[in-house]
Amino acid sequence: MIVSTNWLSEYVDLPKSLDELTERLTLTGLNLEGVETVGDDTGVDLEVTSNRPDCLGHVGVAREIAVLWEKELKIPTAKPQAAGQPVSALALVAIEAPQLCSRYTARVIKGVKIGPSPEWLANRLRTLGIAVINNVVDATNYVMMECGQPLHAFDFAKLNGGAIIVRESQPGEKFTAINHQEYELPAGTCVIADAKRAVALAGVMGGADSEVSDATVDLLIESADFDCMSVRSTARALNLHSPSSYRFERGVDPEGIDWASRRCCELILELAGGQLCDGVLDEGSERPARPEIKLRFEQLPRVLGIEVPKPAVRKILTDLGCEETHECDHCVKVIPPSWRADLTREIDLIEEVARIHGYEQIPEDAGVRMAASTRTRSDRVLEKVRGVMVAAGLNEALTLSAVEASWCDAFRPWTNAEPLAASTPVLRGANCLRQSLVPSLLTARRHNEKLSNPEIELFEIAKVYLPQSGDELPAERRVLSATSGRGFFEAKGVVESVVAAVAPAARIAIEPAELPLLDPARQATVRLGDAVLGVLGELSESGREQFELRGPATVFELDLELLIEAAELRPIAQPLSPYPPVSRDLNIVVDEAVRWSAVEETARTAGGELVESIAYQETYRDEQRLGVGKKSLLFGVQLRSAAGTLTSEQADAVRDRIVVALGKSVGGALRA
Amino acid sequence: MALAEFLADLDALVAEADAAFAAAADDAALEAARIEYLGAKAGRLKDVQKGLGKVDKADKPAAGKRFNEVKQSIEAAFAAAQERRANGAATHQREAFDFTLPGQPVRLGRLHPITQTIAEMKDIMGRLGFTAVEGPEIEDDWHNFEALNIPRSHPARDPLDNFYLATAQLAPGDSPGAKSKSSDAKAAAKPLLLRSQTSTVQIRVMESTPPPVRIISLGRVYRPDTADATHYPMFHQIEGLLVDRGVTMADLKSVLRLFCQSYFAGGDEVHVRFRPSFFPFTEPSVEVDMSWTNAAGEHGWLEMGGAGMVDPNVLRAVGYDPEEVTGFAFGLGVERICMRQHGITDIRALYENDVRFLEQF
Repeated sequence: MIVSTNWLSEYVDLPKSLDELTERLTLTGLNLEGVETVGDDTGVDLEVTSNRPDCLGHVGVAREIAVLWEKELKIPTAKPQAAGQPVSALALVAIEAPQLCSRYTARVIKGVKIGPSPEWLANRLRTLGIAVINNVVDATNYVMMECGQPLHAFDFAKLNGGAIIVRESQPGEKFTAINHQEYELPAGTCVIADAKRAVALAGVMGGADSEVSDATVDLLIESADFDCMSVRSTARALNLHSPSSYRFERGVDPEGIDWASRRCCELILELAGGQLCDGVLDEGSERPARPEIKLRFEQLPRVLGIEVPKPAVRKILTDLGCEETHECDHCVKVIPPSWRADLTREIDLIEEVARIHGYEQIPEDAGVRMAASTRTRSDRVLEKVRGVMVAAGLNEALTLSAVEASWCDAFRPWTNAEPLAASTPVLRGANCLRQSLVPSLLTARRHNEKLSNPEIELFEIAKVYLPQSGDELPAERRVLSATSGRGFFEAKGVVESVVAAVAPAARIAIEPAELPLLDPARQATVRLGDAVLGVLGELSESGREQFELRGPATVFELDLELLIEAAELRPIAQPLSPYPPVSRDLNIVVDEAVRWSAVEETARTAGGELVESIAYQETYRDEQRLGVGKKSLLFGVQLRSAAGTLTSEQADAVRDRIVVALGKSVGGALRA
Repeated sequence: MALAEFLADLDALVAEADAAFAAAADDAALEAARIEYLGAKAGRLKDVQKGLGKVDKADKPAAGKRFNEVKQSIEAAFAAAQERRANGAATHQREAFDFTLPGQPVRLGRLHPITQTIAEMKDIMGRLGFTAVEGPEIEDDWHNFEALNIPRSHPARDPLDNFYLATAQLAPGDSPGAKSKSSDAKAAAKPLLLRSQTSTVQIRVMESTPPPVRIISLGRVYRPDTADATHYPMFHQIEGLLVDRGVTMADLKSVLRLFCQSYFAGGDEVHVRFRPSFFPFTEPSVEVDMSWTNAAGEHGWLEMGGAGMVDPNVLRAVGYDPEEVTGFAFGLGVERICMRQHGITDIRALYENDVRFLEQF
C-alpha cells in the first residue's frame, strides 16, 4: 500500500521527520518497503499484513499515526447534497445470492459532465501509481484509496431496466471486462447483472458495456460487500487481480460502505457536477452486533512478560476505535471497531496493546528457566553414519524429494507400488515423491561428469515415500544412499563400516539381488537379521546409458530406520585375553561356484571358540595347476584363547578341523 | 731401543694415522684404517707398544707417557673422522628428504553446508534446553492447517500455494469398499500435502505430550516457488517451541537473543527487536530482527524470521488449556542463514551438488 504524505496530512498531523514516521510505523506493524518522491509529494510504500485491510486506505494509516503520536484524526463527514428525485423511482437492487453479497448500496447521480480530474486529485493518484482516467473513475479510485472500500461507477443508461441484480453466473455465461477481454465465467461466479446480462464481476472488475465513457451522463455508484472467498476464487480463476479484489479478499469495513458511497458521490458532484438522487438503495442483511471482548489486565504480563499501566491499556484500545463498555480493577470490556474484523478475542487485544505500547518495552534478558535437552536416538545414529561416510571420502549431497516418473521406475528396491504424486510438479516435471535416492544421486553424478569433475563420491541421507494402504499417512523411510566411482567391494566396505560403526554386534548377510539398473553379477541384497537392510551394486552398461553416465558407477542404499533400531549407542567393554594370538594360513581349492561366505561360515563353525578372526586374503585361479572350474581361496585364521597361550599343536588341530569340515561342506581340499 | 727412536716411531704413526683417517672415503675404508692403526690384535699402535718394552729402563716413564698421549691422539683423530663421516651422511640424507613434497592425501568427504548449519543450530538450541524432533513431510489437513488455526477460508490453503498429493492413496488391489469407515468422504475431501512448514511437528508433539514442551522441529518443507537465486520449491526450516506455565514474550526475546549471540556474534553484543506481523498460529505475531555492526562501525538490523506467542486456538486444538499454559514459537529459514554465513549467492547451488561446491565446506 503506497500512501501519499500530502494526502495523509489531511487527516492527521504528521511528525516532522519522514524517518521518524516510517521507523515507528515499521515497528508497529506497517513495514516500510520504500519511499519515492513524486513531484512535491512523497509516496511511502508500506507492507500491510493480510489481517489489516483497514490500513489499505489513507484513513486507516492516518488512524495508526494518530494513535501512535496521540494526534487528532480528522475524517471528512461526507454529506453530499441530494437534489433529485428519489433513487427508488429510477433503479432497483436485488441480491439473489446473499451468501456471496452481504450488502449492496447504490446511489444515482444524474447529469454529470465527464472530464479530466483536477490536478490535486490526479497528482495524488499518480503518487500512488494509479492511472488517471477521468473525473468519475478517478473519484471512485480516490475514495477506495482513502478508506479502503472499492467502489464502482456504472453508466446508468447502460443498465437495462435500471436494475442491479447480484447473482451467481449462469452456466457458460460470458462476460467482457473493462480490459475488453471476454471471459467464460466459472459456474457460481458472483456477478452484478442488469435485467439482461452480467455487467460486472462482483468486487473484481467492471464490464466494458457499462463502463463510464465520455458520453456518460447518469451514474449508478456501487458500494458493497462481497464474500472474500468468492472474490478470491474469481480473481484467481480468471487471473484478474485488481486493487478492488485485493481489498475484498481481505475484507472491507461493513460499516464504512455507506460512508464511502456518500464520500464518492460528494466528490463526483464536486468534480463532475450533476444531481444526486435522493436516498440510497441499500440491500442486504443486518449484521449481527459485535460481541464485547474482555481483556483481563493480568493477562498482559502473563503473555508479554511486562506490565502495562491500566490507563495506558484503556487509552490504546479506545484510540484504536474500540468502544469501552466496562472497566474495573481486573478487566476492561470493549466492542472493537467495525473496521477491525481481526479483533475478536482477548489475545487479539493483547497484541494491539503490545504493538502500540511498543515491543521494545519487552526485555531481552529474562531469566529463562534451564531445562535438560536430549539428543534423539536417530540424531545420534545419523551423526555416526555421516562420520563414516565422510571418512570414507564421500561428499554429502542434497537432492530434491520429488522426481520424474521415469526415475521412480529406474530403481525401486523398496516397493513396486505406484509412487505418490503431487498435483503440480515440484520442479520441471518432477511430480513423483521418490522411492529411492539413487536416481537423484546418479543424476547429480551425471551433472558432475559433465563438469569434468574427476572424483564423484556422493551420499545423501533423506526420506523415501512409500504408499500405504488404508488411511495411514505414507511411510517415510529414511535411507542412506551413495554413488561412487569405485567398485563393488569398495562400496561394500563402506556399507560394512557403517554397520560396524553403528551396530558392532550386528551381522549382515549378503544375498543375490536382481535390480535391472545394476550389473547382473555385481549386485547384492544386504540383510540384517530377517530384514532387508539395503542393496548394493555396480551399474550395468544399460544402467549407465539410462543415466547418460560415461564412467563406472557403484551405488548402494540402506534403510536407516533398521540401523537406528539396531544401533548400539552405549557399547560395553569386553574383557581382553592377555595371551598372544596364533595364526594359521589356509589355501583351499574349491569349485568356482563355492562362495567365500560358505567357506568362512564353515571355518568359523568348525574352528570353534578359539577362532578370533578370519581374514580373506586372495583368490587364485590356474587351470593347469588347479584344474578347470576350480579356484583356490587363501585366508588366514587367527586363534586366541582366554585361558592360556595356544600351543602349536592346538593351533594345528583347529586348522585340521577346518580343513576336514571344508572338505565335507564345500568339497574343499588343501592345496598341495 | 733408544728413546729417540721410539718417539720418532710414535710421531710417524700419528702423522700416518691422521692421514689415513682423513683419506678414508667411506665407512668401510675408515674401518679398515681403524683396524690398521688401532686394531686390538695387529694394529700398528699395538706394534709400537711392543717397542715400549725395549726402551731403556730409565726412559720408560717418559716413553710410556708419550705413548699414552699418542694413543689418545690417534683415537681422537679416529673419533673426529668418524664424526665427519656421520655428519656428511646426515647432510646428504637431509638433502635427499624433500619435506616440501605433498603429504599422502587422505580422501575425506564433506558434510553439506545445510547439514552443518542445522547441526550448529541444533547444538545451540540443545544447550538452551530444546530437544530436536522430526516428523512426516507428507501431512494431513489437520496438522498442516486446521490445528494451526488456518481455517478453510484461509488463502494459505490455496492449491497454488501448496503441493497437494494428486490422489488419495490406495494400494493396488485395495478396493475402495474395503476401506474402513473412517476414511470417508471427509478424508477424500482433504487431500494430503507436502508440508509447507515444520510447525506440523509441533502439533504432533503437543498432541502426544503433556506440557511442558521444549523442542525444535526441523526438516524439509515445500512451497510452489519458481526456482531462482533466492527461491527453491524445497527448503529447510527450523522452528522452536516452548510451552509451559508462565512462558512470556520476554522469554521468547531472550531465547532468540541467546541464539543469535551464540550463532552469529562471538564476542560482540547482539540485540533482537520485534516488528508486528501476522501468522495464523501465533498471537501476538512478530518478525524478528537481529542487530549487526560491521568493521566500519556501521550498524543495522537483519531479518531473522517469524515468531510469536502460540495462539490459544492452537493450544486448544492439541488439548492444552490456554488458561494453564502459554507458549512461544519461532521459525528460521535454514537456507537463508546458511547462504549468508557462507557467502552463497544462489540457493540453487545448494541442490546442484557440484562436488567442487560441496568440497568448500
